[in-house]
Order: sequence, then C-alpha cells, then structure tokens
Amino acid sequence: MRPGFGSSRLEPGAISLATDPSILPSAPQPKEIPVADVHSLPPESFLEEVHSFEFWFHSVEGYLSETRYGRKLQTQEVPLSDPERDRLITVLCHYCIGETAALEASSGLIAIAPNRLAKVFLATQVVDEGRHLEVLLHRLQDLGVASPEQEIERRATRSLVAFKRRLLELVEGKDWEAAIFAQNVILESFEFTVFQAHAETADPVTRDVLQGIVKDERRHIGFGENELGRRLKTSPHTRARLAAVRHELDSLVLASCEETLAQIGTLPSERPEIGRSYLAAVRRLGFA
Amino acid sequence: MSSKPEPKPDATAPEADDSKPRLRFVLEDTGFDEVPKKYRKYYRKWNGPAEELAPNEVLCPVCKVVIRSPRELRPGDRVYCMACFTRFIVTRSEAGMLEATVEY
Repeated sequence: MRPGFGSSRLEPGAISLATDPSILPSAPQPKEIPVADVHSLPPESFLEEVHSFEFWFHSVEGYLSETRYGRKLQTQEVPLSDPERDRLITVLCHYCIGETAALEASSGLIAIAPNRLAKVFLATQVVDEGRHLEVLLHRLQDLGVASPEQEIERRATRSLVAFKRRLLELVEGKDWEAAIFAQNVILESFEFTVFQAHAETADPVTRDVLQGIVKDERRHIGFGENELGRRLKTSPHTRARLAAVRHELDSLVLASCEETLAQIGTLPSERPEIGRSYLAAVRRLGFA
Repeated sequence: MSSKPEPKPDATAPEADDSKPRLRFVLEDTGFDEVPKKYRKYYRKWNGPAEELAPNEVLCPVCKVVIRSPRELRPGDRVYCMACFTRFIVTRSEAGMLEATVEY
C-alpha cells in the first residue's frame, strides 16, 4: 500500500496553494489562519499551542460534533445474544472504573501541576474523562442496565479497585511524577491499546464510543510521556522512584487487562501485542 | 532515558545525498480529524506495518499517527505530532528507513 503518495501530491518546487489562498483570488476566504509549515514552529510555540483549550476545542469538534453520547448519528444498533450482552456489560463496567479513577485523579492533579500549560491541559483531560464516563454509562443504559453505578460496583475486580485507590493516594500525597506516571503512562496506555483492540471486534455502537475515546487518549498518553520525559532529563533520580511505582502498579493493571481481554475474546496469543505500546513507552522513558 | 545514541541536531546532520534539492509535496486533508482543521493535512491515519510511507512521512511511535511534511524528510529534521504533543528528530534506522525519535 502506498497511501502516502496518494494523499500528498509530489510537485518538485511546488508552492502549496493550501498555504497561500491569495493565489486563488476567487476562492472563499478560509476561516482558519493558514499555517506555513507546522513543523517549523518554535518548540515553545508548539507546546503553548497544543496545551491550550483552543486547540482542544477544535480537536474534539472534528470527531465529536456529529455524535450523540459518542455514537455517530447514522450508526445502527445490532442485536446481541444474552452472553454477548453480559460480557459487554462486564467490560464496560471495568472501563467505567478506570475512567472514574482518571477523572478524579486528573482533577486532583491540577492543583499540584508545576506550570500553567500542565494545569490547562489537565483541565481538558478532566473534561475528556468526564465525557468518557458519561458515554460509557449511557451505553450501559442502552444495554438495559437500570442502575449502572450499582452494576459497576457489583462487577468491579479487586485489581482495578486497588489500582484506583493507589492512584488517588499518589495524587493526595502530591507526588506529581508518580501520579502522572500511574495515570497518563500506565493506565492510559493500557486503555489506549485495550480500547483499540476492543473497537475492532465490538458491535457498531460500542465501536463508535470506543473510537472516540481512543482519539482523546492520544493526547493523554502523549502528555504523560512528554511531561515525564522532560522531568527525567533534569532530575534522573526520579527514575528509581518511578520504577518502584511501576513495579507496584503494573501487576494490578495487567491483571485487569488480562481479564478484560478474555471477556472481549482476544486470543491469549494476541495479548502480548496489547502491551507492546505500553512497553515501548516505558522503554523510551528509560525503564526497560 | 533511552539507550539510543543522541540524535544529531539539524546543522550537523549527515548530508548523504543531500546535495539534491528536496522533493516538495502539496499536502491534502485526508480526513484525519483529531487536530484542528488548519493542521489536519500534516497528519493521517496509519494503516499498519505493511504500509510503505512516502519520503515526506514518518510514523509517530507514541500514538501511531503518520506525520507529514510539505518537503522530503531527511535525518536531522525536526517534526511534531500534534495528536500526542510530541517533538521528534528524524533519524535513519539500521534498515535504512526514516524514523521519528522522541525529543522530550
């Protein structure tokens, strides 16, 4: 496949009309300010831009504006058998625990974030996590669950509940690096890969909901890895402390991840693939 | 930190066959909807490991989105992934492929 060549036309020495609308005087004026080349932005301008509410708003608008509770308006429900429905309810209940943990933790982290950009980003993450919880609860109601909160409590696994408790302890202890590592690297990486895997085999409505969440998760995992990467550069001693956090929390997330993957029917032979993205992230941060 | 060697800055990057002028590309919006409209043409969805990237493209190793540039990429170039807020320097892998190496 060579879609790269199909989507960007090669023109030696070409001037991009897309970046110079004045070349086409009769064309309608674009609302957006043209960008000469995003990759030539100074690093400070790039960081300022992507951590802004303005950036967040115009990003989520692209994939959420035509949805209702994360479901595309044209997507039709397909019937599920009772065992399929029951397995899906269990998995969605587990997801709700993870999303609640991230909602509570990211809101608590705003107060201890070291700078304005991190505070503003976390404010957008709080909104994302609140939305995730809402769309998952709505999906549970779609599936006939009368009291989603009670159902979540009933189907919760010990490992997930323990992970949530430990994450919130790190936030309450004002341990910025450890809490960001636990939330934005460990939890978000696993959610990112599990939701992607689940979306491939899910019913159409659940797929819509999960794909929307995955798009938000890209920002969350990127923020966590970059924030920690910058801090580890200037305070390498932090690495040993984070390695201990990883040792403690990895097993909790892995246990719930295994259980979820079994519920959604991922073959044991395919499961190592799921952890690859997380392992690559910790390797880049120097925890291999 | 990564055990990989530190990437070289642009000014000292190897200029193998760089005497040739760079190819230029007109980027088109491919429907990547995760960044504001004005940035969309710089990114596209990745279709998996079997996909061959164009000379102006490199894969974001953090969030698996294809990063696109209006010019042919060469080792030492710096690019951004706006989908996951990551800065990269373009390097060449042992297999000769262009790669994006994270610059925190």
